[in-house]
Amino acid sequence: MKVQVARYNPETDSKPHYETYNVTVQEGARILNVLDAIHDTIDSTLGYRHCCRGGQCGSCAVRVNGEPTLACQKEAKDGDVIEPLNIPLIRDLITDIAPVIAQMAWMNTGCTYTPVTREEIENIKPLRSCIECYSCISSCPAVESSTYAGPTIMRQEQRLNLDPRDIDTERIEKAIEKGLFSCTTCRKCVEVCPKKIDTPKKAVEKLREVAVRKGLALPAHKSLAKLIEDTGRSVDKIEKTFLEMVPDVIEPDGPVRATVGFFVGCVINGRNPQTALDAIEVLKRNGIRVIIPKTQVCCGSPLIRTGFTGFIPELQERNIKAFEDIDTVITICAGCGSTLKNDYTTPFRVADITEYLVEIGYEIPGKIKGTFTYHDPCHLLRGQGIKDQPRQIIRDMVENFVDMPARCCGAGGGVKSGQPDEAAKIGKIRAEMVKKTGADTVVTVCPFCGLHLHQVTGLPTMNIVSLMYEGYRKK
Amino acid sequence: MLNCHVLIIGSGGAGIRAAIEAESSGSVIIVSKTITGKGGCTVMAEGGINAVLKEEDSTQIHFEDTMKGGAYLNDETLVQTLVTDSPKRIQDLFNWGAVFDEDEMNRIAQRPFGGQRFPRTCYAGDHTGHEIVMTLLERLRGSKVQILDEITVVDLLVGNDGVYGAITVDRNGKFDYITADAVVLATGGAGQLYSVTTNSTAGTGDGYALGYRAGAKLIDMEEVQFHPTGAVYPIDSRGRLITEAVRGEGGILRNKNGERFMECYDPERKELSTRDVVARAIATEILEGRGTPNGGVYLDVTHLPREQIETRLPIMLEQFLTYGVDIREQMIEVAPTAHHFMGGLQINTDAATTIPRLFAAGEVSGGVHGGNRLGGNALAETQVFGTKAGISAGKCSPQKITPDTALIAKLEEKVNEWMNGTLPIAEARKQLKLLMWNKVGIYRNELDLKVAKRDLAVLREKTLKISSRMEIADAFITENMMMVASLVIEGALLRKESRGAHCRTDIKQSWTPDKSPFGHTWFQKEKRGIEIREENL
Repeated sequence: MKVQVARYNPETDSKPHYETYNVTVQEGARILNVLDAIHDTIDSTLGYRHCCRGGQCGSCAVRVNGEPTLACQKEAKDGDVIEPLNIPLIRDLITDIAPVIAQMAWMNTGCTYTPVTREEIENIKPLRSCIECYSCISSCPAVESSTYAGPTIMRQEQRLNLDPRDIDTERIEKAIEKGLFSCTTCRKCVEVCPKKIDTPKKAVEKLREVAVRKGLALPAHKSLAKLIEDTGRSVDKIEKTFLEMVPDVIEPDGPVRATVGFFVGCVINGRNPQTALDAIEVLKRNGIRVIIPKTQVCCGSPLIRTGFTGFIPELQERNIKAFEDIDTVITICAGCGSTLKNDYTTPFRVADITEYLVEIGYEIPGKIKGTFTYHDPCHLLRGQGIKDQPRQIIRDMVENFVDMPARCCGAGGGVKSGQPDEAAKIGKIRAEMVKKTGADTVVTVCPFCGLHLHQVTGLPTMNIVSLMYEGYRKK
Repeated sequence: MLNCHVLIIGSGGAGIRAAIEAESSGSVIIVSKTITGKGGCTVMAEGGINAVLKEEDSTQIHFEDTMKGGAYLNDETLVQTLVTDSPKRIQDLFNWGAVFDEDEMNRIAQRPFGGQRFPRTCYAGDHTGHEIVMTLLERLRGSKVQILDEITVVDLLVGNDGVYGAITVDRNGKFDYITADAVVLATGGAGQLYSVTTNSTAGTGDGYALGYRAGAKLIDMEEVQFHPTGAVYPIDSRGRLITEAVRGEGGILRNKNGERFMECYDPERKELSTRDVVARAIATEILEGRGTPNGGVYLDVTHLPREQIETRLPIMLEQFLTYGVDIREQMIEVAPTAHHFMGGLQINTDAATTIPRLFAAGEVSGGVHGGNRLGGNALAETQVFGTKAGISAGKCSPQKITPDTALIAKLEEKVNEWMNGTLPIAEARKQLKLLMWNKVGIYRNELDLKVAKRDLAVLREKTLKISSRMEIADAFITENMMMVASLVIEGALLRKESRGAHCRTDIKQSWTPDKSPFGHTWFQKEKRGIEIREENL
């Protein structure tokens, strides 16, 4: 088996370089077995950490083909590229984790005996399985672009916050100091976590809730929350909204293949109604009858991400009631879709428009000239597990499609409104990736990503429905 | 050069517990050849920790279970300390934030484990050791203890008044001293002497070698527990622990014919017999041709409710899914694997070794578990004797001794020899591990042991080969492993009986363990022997 390994000796190298090794390993060998084979038979100076070899100590995390993983768990494949975590480097695959460890909060127990109920224990458990491998720190876009201490640091703060034995009264203040408002809730940390700990949902958003209760929320988030509570919408009204432009029911061209409800998010409704109108045209063209209840309101995503959850039950009730007799509700915004799917218990099915169209079959639009790339909205990719459908749609209809790996644009989780500098920094890294594709248009399925990417790249951005409608018009 | 009041060597459950306890006595340094908390076997321990917490149970029964399980080779005073203090240490952990599973009455939940007459094993799913280490780390990080990661201790400093510190080597091969008023060894066991083991790669028995070279007495080094259930596939993860909790939750052992063979070996306790009995039963099934194609037997949990497996054995489920086996639907293949060293540095109930100012806690010490350790007693031992060692070390009087610089010069000579050596470290370890597995395993006989002794001597005559200073620590560790292996072999030759985990197929004996004429085997300086229990002669 041939692999490449990043090597670095601070005494002789100015920067890491890659060495190719050809080793013989057993069937089913893990990355760690490959590293052992290199160390034992080719170069005994190779530096790498390992200990329990069973995925329990977290020592051996490295990046394989760019993605953090435990070397002892990941099966090795010919051609793998093995690199250290994206944490300051000491030598070869050994990183300097001491500063990270120093950020990890400890329990302030006082000296009295505090009973803990089974229910409390069960609540803490999901945050307790962390093995401190720091894969999440390595891959967190906010850590790279701000002073954010990182996902597992927040996990630990919330673990302590949930524990009645912890008597620290400034847990939230400490969490804020360590960057509580820096998390974009992109969920990359969940994706790479060997224990699949849901830090954004179970720690960051919960800590933000406490921050709100303590009056420590960011001013921008407070005013946004007020706007939603006053108007049911997260953007103020400056022009005619989509919902004011359309009838309650729109019949398709030709025979009716299906009927769906249409959920329009605040940004599209209030700022880009044309996107929603394009979506309606796409659905019509594919024989889908569209019902658009006018009583629908904001999905609540901005509130949940920033900790203002007090108003959520009312939003949930209003939206569920608005769509109550409908089987399937379509979204064209990743954030709305993810929220309706994950933060609601709906009596109807929620589907992203790309997911739905690919599922029931759609007419392939006419060819569009130019070079296009696709940006995965985090709340579509990791929030809804939708990766291939948008790519399939775009690939089939554009002259030139250049794919790029997913990475958060920096806009989500209240970061663009609350900490715009950080959002811009994360966006700048994403802009570089976009530039590398040579694309002249970026396609996505989230108005917020679209707006932010347009600002950081200077390129036109398009919701996938608008691209599709343009293709149909070309026919 | 660093100086402190108490120096703790090793950062598993016992080491961190000792550091926490010693903190109030003065400056404390904890030094670890790995990252603190990640290196020891505590973090890998899955099943649980024993403590008498309920009125229906009693420390007397825990004592009797432990003595019986240990084939009456245990030191009674140490067992008494273990069973008496364990409940207090559980309470410490709980007070410090441990997230143990609780029952419906909000009490710490307990489950049955092998060889025990009462369900007294407390647990956190099947990651109890991890939970304990995380709790201890939360405590340690809030303390003033100085933590030194990735520093390997190569020798203890010994003067006229006992131990006064240690010589260390760092990641880059630089030697240094740490002087101290007292030293605690908490370096764990030596499962890595075997090619098939549950131990982390740090389980190389350094503390046995350090203590032995310093002149301390070791006992019962031949008593090596083979855990009955280690993984057999994939080949590279052979030996990985399949927790006893799988059997505790109701797992059934079957041979290739589907027969529940434990009914023949221990009809009463079956799968929950003691580990030595279950390990030998599995080994016999395999040796006699009733094993699986991969050389194991089956451990079956497919009859258990899926939810029970998912909530009580989540790590097992997850680990096997990684290898493409769904234990909710498929049987697990298992075989014995080197697990725990019952022997080690002889200590008293204050965790003091036989030389002044040197203390030992956890697997590096001997005497608590006798000839065979009960599941759940190792984690208890780390907490009980870690605490004792921390207290005792803290009480040592101040001393000020400046180490002789010639000591490091002497080590540099050794490094020079290694730089010109012939035997690569990886090769030495490979040969050692195979030798120990093949000749000094579950079943032993004099001929095999003598061959092992001769082959090991040949291996030790060669000079290890290193090509950079970054390998110095590994070379010291490899020499430690070979020295410890020699003690295991000598102990196995000395103990002419089957007792606990030590099984001599070439010896017919007429006594049961409680009537054995033998006591501890012992090793000190160049002397060795086996104690005679005159009352049983």
